[in-house]
Amino acid sequence: MNALEDEKIRKLLHAVFPPVGDAVPPRDLWPAVLRHLDEAPARVPWLDWVCAGVLAALFALFPEVIPALFYYL
Amino acid sequence: MNTHPHLRAYLAGIAVPTFLTPLVVCGFAIEHFRFGIAVPIERVLIFPMALLPVLWGAWNVLYFLLGPRLRLPFGFHGLLFFAVFGPIGFFLARFVLDLSSVFTLQFFGVMIPSGLLVYYLLWKYFVSYFNRLLGLA
Repeated sequence: MNALEDEKIRKLLHAVFPPVGDAVPPRDLWPAVLRHLDEAPARVPWLDWVCAGVLAALFALFPEVIPALFYYL
Repeated sequence: MNTHPHLRAYLAGIAVPTFLTPLVVCGFAIEHFRFGIAVPIERVLIFPMALLPVLWGAWNVLYFLLGPRLRLPFGFHGLLFFAVFGPIGFFLARFVLDLSSVFTLQFFGVMIPSGLLVYYLLWKYFVSYFNRLLGLA
């Protein structure tokens, strides 16, 4: 492949892929991501604690169910 | 983050099982090869490994397709997933994959409530977190 062919390929690529233009987003997105991650976690309702407790009890009473549940994950 | 909402919903849906499944498979592999314990379920783990992430993703897409009027609260949407696919998986395991020694009918009675609770909690706290992170909810 000589220099002439390289130049031809370069021109073809330029023709096929239009210039990206202004690639910078209109505003800085990183603070929004950080804000999102830092949001205070929602309080866990009492019903969900009950569910977690019942689940723990089921696992303690019937440990053989644990590998079977992995079949569903 | 305003484009392709269904693709983002799919990705949020598959995040939890694609994270958990390799850990589960590693656990079974260590158990088998290090300690020589053979759990019958390990023979068929490839089925849920291949299918479940896709189903989780599709189920999460369905949540957003249903629209605000038809949707259930998110935890109950996850619970419904297990209510639909739990019995299907059970009968597949018992009758097609030849795991009837493990998946007995008595076992079904314990597994179903456990699975419903696990799915309720996973969807309410983890899948919904990924949905929020991807700007969906």
